[in-house]
Amino acid sequence: MPTELPYAADAEVSLTYDELEVLRLQYQRELAQAHVTVQTKFNYAWGLVKSPMHEDQVEGVRLLQEIYRAEPTRRRECLYYLALGHYKMSNYEEAKRFNALLLEKEPANLQARSLLQLIDKAVTKEGYIGMVLAGGVAALGTLLVAGIIRRASR
Amino acid sequence: MSSEFGERGNGSKTKKRQDPQASNSSGPSKLEVLQKTFLAPFNHKKTDSTRILSDLAPVIMTPRMMNSAATVSSRPRASVSGSSSKMDFATLGRAPLRLGFGPSHRATSRDLQIVEATDELLGAEVPEPEGVASSVSLLRGFEATIPSADKSRTRRRQMRHVETPKLGLKKLGMSARGLMVEDEDHESRSVASEEDIVVVGAKTSRRKGRESLSTAKQLGKEELTRQQEEILRDKENLHVRRSLIHSEIDEIVNKIAVLDGIRTKLEEDLLKLQEDELELDDELQGVKERMEFEQSTTKAATAHPLHLLPTTRRRKGPAFLPSEHEELPPGTLESHTSPITALDFSEPYGTLVSASQEDAQPLVWDLFSGTEIGRLRGHTGGVKSVQVEDHICLTGGEDGNVRVWDLRKVDDEAWGEGEMVNLSDVAEEAEDDNGELVERPNGIRNGESDGGEAEKDGPCLRILDGHTKAVTALYFEDECLVTGASDKTLRQWDMTTGQCVMTMDILWAISHPPTSAPGGAPPNTLFPGAVAAAGNFAVPAPPAADGSWDMYTDFVGGVQFWGYGLVSGSGDGAVRMWDMRTGQAHRTLHGHTGPITCLQFDEIHIASGSLDKTLRIWDLRTGGIFETIKYDHAVTALQFDSRKIVAAAGENGIKIYNRTSMQQSALATNGHTRPVEKLRYMDRYLVTGGRDSTVKIWSL
Repeated sequence: MPTELPYAADAEVSLTYDELEVLRLQYQRELAQAHVTVQTKFNYAWGLVKSPMHEDQVEGVRLLQEIYRAEPTRRRECLYYLALGHYKMSNYEEAKRFNALLLEKEPANLQARSLLQLIDKAVTKEGYIGMVLAGGVAALGTLLVAGIIRRASR
Repeated sequence: MSSEFGERGNGSKTKKRQDPQASNSSGPSKLEVLQKTFLAPFNHKKTDSTRILSDLAPVIMTPRMMNSAATVSSRPRASVSGSSSKMDFATLGRAPLRLGFGPSHRATSRDLQIVEATDELLGAEVPEPEGVASSVSLLRGFEATIPSADKSRTRRRQMRHVETPKLGLKKLGMSARGLMVEDEDHESRSVASEEDIVVVGAKTSRRKGRESLSTAKQLGKEELTRQQEEILRDKENLHVRRSLIHSEIDEIVNKIAVLDGIRTKLEEDLLKLQEDELELDDELQGVKERMEFEQSTTKAATAHPLHLLPTTRRRKGPAFLPSEHEELPPGTLESHTSPITALDFSEPYGTLVSASQEDAQPLVWDLFSGTEIGRLRGHTGGVKSVQVEDHICLTGGEDGNVRVWDLRKVDDEAWGEGEMVNLSDVAEEAEDDNGELVERPNGIRNGESDGGEAEKDGPCLRILDGHTKAVTALYFEDECLVTGASDKTLRQWDMTTGQCVMTMDILWAISHPPTSAPGGAPPNTLFPGAVAAAGNFAVPAPPAADGSWDMYTDFVGGVQFWGYGLVSGSGDGAVRMWDMRTGQAHRTLHGHTGPITCLQFDEIHIASGSLDKTLRIWDLRTGGIFETIKYDHAVTALQFDSRKIVAAAGENGIKIYNRTSMQQSALATNGHTRPVEKLRYMDRYLVTGGRDSTVKIWSL
């Protein structure tokens, strides 16, 4: 089981609209029958997570959380999908926490390790951009302050 | 937004604790210290509501948070060391990014909901996957069930359709129905020349497939191999889907089992409620009767000679709460030295009289304390039948006499060898003493001056003598008594006078079946009248559970009457219904194949137990068998009400048949060590006597 996890790249490949629609219909049909199987729910959730739309991703993660709550035997797997979902939504903090828990259970999990690297990379990247921005703002501020001081001193 | 900013600060701390892997070996750096200072304002805990508020109005929140910076920064901070400088740097950097740009999307409440759930989810236990979770991963299931899983098959079909000229009609039909046999498929195409191979890329299979539709007539080996692989994969997918569905079915089966269990339990509860209701009905009726009686007695205000309540307590049950004695610990009374032959008690926690084999002196017990009060001395043989109503006790003995006792006068110390006096003296004396006994001095049996004896001041009030053999069954209500004896007669007595009012000859009834049945009673092979008349009645009883057996000599197993209707069960296996006005048996119920040992009836049914190991419930009106309950051994005693039948059936356990739920159960815990012989219950208070010479008290 542990090896049967998709790599993060897989999550970036979205399903076609039709495919997602089929999954959605199946899920909603079972929902109407008041018995949703775990697989159907997961299929829809995973389809949603793969979607590029943020709203879909949110919904997908929500469904994954439901599975996580309801199915203790699926939790181990869901940890990874939750981590992946959060990663896609740029919730790196949560992604990291879920992933860390999974790694704690399965230190050798390749997918989880790769995801960890990805998260770290993304966080750093965002950090650098932020730093540059902050630097820019600071520089601008300095200039302004300097200008004001200069004007005031004149 | 600002809120997220704050959270990140929080989160980073958590992460530092949780994720040592992310840290590298470098110690606290300047950057880190810088970051701490920077983020300090946002590290304070915020409630979810503030978070939402801040989300709605970040502009308001931000300055406030800034203001609080001064106070919060002094807060002690956890884990200064051990965190990665790289991560800190990144986190530090993200703050302005978030503040500056804001997220690319609008953070909705759903976002927050998801994020907030993180802690809860992480707190949950993550067990080892088991069952289907360990065999089929979610992703595998996903791959097997998504619509594209069918793509390859569709494509293959399309390709095959192109080849229709090469396929036979049969194959064509099969392929149309999707029944293509792969082996043949492969064989037929492997002859294709290498020049015509269509190279189909794995990724663009569908498009290439279409292409082949127009260009190629033959598929290459590569394509066929690929098709084979695809089909194998599809089969595997099917397998996965099958196991998924199986697991779902299993789950549903489990759920159904659980629900079934709940339903059974609820049904039991319902049944119990129903029984409780019935019990309450009975109780209400008892109270009403009691009320009527008390009203009538206050009106009449006359003293009954023997002061017997004309209630039908024995039939309908007493009017007191069943819960009164639910806490009763089942007890054991051990003083007898031989098997119990008869017992009865006045009321729960009242007085019990029990008789045993070859013991002429039945024992009197106080059920409240469980102690022996005294003995009833007078009979010259064993006592075979006992009935107690309040303080009045009647015993029927092997000596053919019935004795009337006043249990209030039973006292082991006060009397022992008391002299015998004529009953007329007693009657006069009693009248003198307290006026309770209204008795005509000459009202005793005709002329036998030495027969009607009673002890002076003793508990024996009267002796009713007339039967020539053992009195084996008796039943009295108010002033009327009916006895059945081994002399094959029933006698009706007036207890106020002590006179035998009527004698009903069972032998005569056997030889003269009721005129209402012109065909006559079926020939009675068990007990032909002639044989019965000739000698003593004795039938070997079938061995009980412990293998012991006796000669059964009680010709009349049970009698009971109501109004003028009398029912008797006798050794010929027949239940007879008599009219006490005429003394004629007007109906005989045949069915038992052995002597009847016990009998009871209510408004609807007659219950009779027999040595033929069955207990039969008869319909009182039609005379048909309503129910037959079979036991492994002879039935020796029974009592029933509308809800249950309690029976002694030759086993150590007391048999209880729930008439509402039709369930059979047995009371055996701490029970008798040898088969139960006799029993009597009132309400939920049961007293049983067994061959092990003990009397036991139960709470039903």
